[in-house]
Amino acid sequence: MIKTIKARRRKDAIIRSTIYALGSLGAIILLSIIGYVFSNGARLVSWDLITGDFRTINTDVYVTEGPGNFTDINYNGDLELFYSERWGIGFVNTFNRAGNEAVEIGYVHPDSPFNTSLDRNNRDEEGNPRIIPIRAGTTVEKGFTTETVFLGRFGAERIAQILNEGQGIREISIQTRGGGIRGSLITTLYLIVMTLALAIPIGVSTAIYFNEIAVQNRVTGIIRSMVDLLTGVPSIIYGLLGAALFIPLLNNTVGTAGGSVLSGALTLSVILLPTIIRNTEEALKVIPAELRNGSFALGASKTQTIFKIVLPSSIPGILTGVLLGIGRIIGESAALIFAVGAAIRDEVILTERSTSLAVQIWTVMGGERPNFELASAIAIIILGVVFIMNFLVKLLAKRLSKAIY
Amino acid sequence: MSEIFALENINLYYGNNHAIKNISMTLQRNKVTAFIGPSGCGKSTFIRILNRMNDLIPECRVQGSILFEGQDTYAKDYDVIELRTKVGMVFQKPNPFPMSIYDNIAYGPRCQGVKNKEQLDQIVEESLKKAALWDEVKERLKESAMKLSGGQQQRVCIARAIAMEPEVILMDEPTSALDPIATQKIEDLITELKKEYTIVIVTHSMQQAARISDYTAFFYLGELMEMDDTDTIFKSPRLKETEEYVTGRFG
Repeated sequence: MIKTIKARRRKDAIIRSTIYALGSLGAIILLSIIGYVFSNGARLVSWDLITGDFRTINTDVYVTEGPGNFTDINYNGDLELFYSERWGIGFVNTFNRAGNEAVEIGYVHPDSPFNTSLDRNNRDEEGNPRIIPIRAGTTVEKGFTTETVFLGRFGAERIAQILNEGQGIREISIQTRGGGIRGSLITTLYLIVMTLALAIPIGVSTAIYFNEIAVQNRVTGIIRSMVDLLTGVPSIIYGLLGAALFIPLLNNTVGTAGGSVLSGALTLSVILLPTIIRNTEEALKVIPAELRNGSFALGASKTQTIFKIVLPSSIPGILTGVLLGIGRIIGESAALIFAVGAAIRDEVILTERSTSLAVQIWTVMGGERPNFELASAIAIIILGVVFIMNFLVKLLAKRLSKAIY
Repeated sequence: MSEIFALENINLYYGNNHAIKNISMTLQRNKVTAFIGPSGCGKSTFIRILNRMNDLIPECRVQGSILFEGQDTYAKDYDVIELRTKVGMVFQKPNPFPMSIYDNIAYGPRCQGVKNKEQLDQIVEESLKKAALWDEVKERLKESAMKLSGGQQQRVCIARAIAMEPEVILMDEPTSALDPIATQKIEDLITELKKEYTIVIVTHSMQQAARISDYTAFFYLGELMEMDDTDTIFKSPRLKETEEYVTGRFG
């Protein structure tokens, strides 16, 4: 007898330690993925990246006034400034939003000839070149002294040196900061809102119909297993559906040309439907039949029972489905490449191509030189969006859930 | 004495299962009628014919004539919702809705379109008073009914039924999930309620049937074996089976 107890204890210990080991392995894997993404991309995550434009604007400017001597500088930036006293302009070595090395204008002296530099390619109505004052914060691309020099590759110190050496500077090419993800973030948010606005009413109504109203027979059984099947269909197939059905449909009705945010939202809502139907059904199923019977016995109609008893109690479960759906919208890339496109935009227009954050990761990683750091930074922002959405949905659940226990 | 329900030759089938076999009975106004019998004898099924709760079960067919206050409740043009407002029901397991005590009681009247706040307040107070629950909960009407004890929950359910001002209250083993003290309270309540309402109660407890009912019906295997004054059933039943059941020798 004693022996069997010992044997059982040993068996329990083995099973328990296996569970602990596998459990901690799972936790470690999850944490290390998140840790990896954070350690890679945290440096690039900034408000500037989130709100900035993606497109850069290039301007070629030239100065008309000659050099002088501009010594009294009032620079209070953090980065080391390499300053050309002859031209009154200083440069800093920094990184652009994509994490690549770049030289930026760090300081322009108030009397510098660059305050009245002229635009090479842009003239006003009277045909005079427009004045484009150079401001701190723009990136130096190329410069032309007596010959074309790619100043950007030289580093700030060398550029300042070249300018000070007294060669005649004729032209400089500057670029606004690019690489911001504002457009993709806005597209993602648009997709979330529009997709949910389509999928929740349709999905919840479908679930209510199947669970509460329809007669349970073979036909509803078949439809239900088809819904199950659709949950497992790879999203690229839905993307094809979007490309084959929604894009032509919208082209012919709304007048879009090719993919658009709208067709993306339509495609995503089809992807979400099975998830929302399934979760709502599960939420409805756990509502005890006694509650429904109690309601019917009080002379309530079916509609009253559904809307006053069943739905209020199942809102937390329905919102679980919505949360899963939001995750799916944010994470979807394959279907959206067809339906929305991969064009990174600064101004998002619903009827035009755009791209979501997830697709932008695909774009960033898919080029000739995959930018791991930027991809990780976008991933962090995606995690942030998921976190905020989670929080909002939980808050909403508390507000909406009229059932009190 | 007047009949409120007159049932004749009732047969009920679940698919091919003949669950109620040719039962006829009448129920008297403002009396307590108890249905007794071993498990699976059809008494719970039978009580659900009275407010047509069996409608909710697919494959359930009912035959026979059921007259409630002289009207055929299974007639095509008879409104089942109206029937259920007149014939309330209390279930075996207390099933308050997950909402406040107030909203639980006001649920039925609200479903019938009562919106006036004062009127609802009055209905809630009166119903809770009739269900002998007012003094216990008047301070916390806004709290969830799910927080109450089992006995209190069951009285909320009774109050909820009373709020509809029904003629009849059906009770399907209302005390089987309750402790003896809560059971005692419900039984006292039933005795009080029969002054205003007709009560039909399904029970597994012989003592309960003997204590509170005026008439007792003994069901066995889907048939109504015997129905009479409670005294007669318990003291000098006509059938041997009835005697054996009420004395606890089988069932």
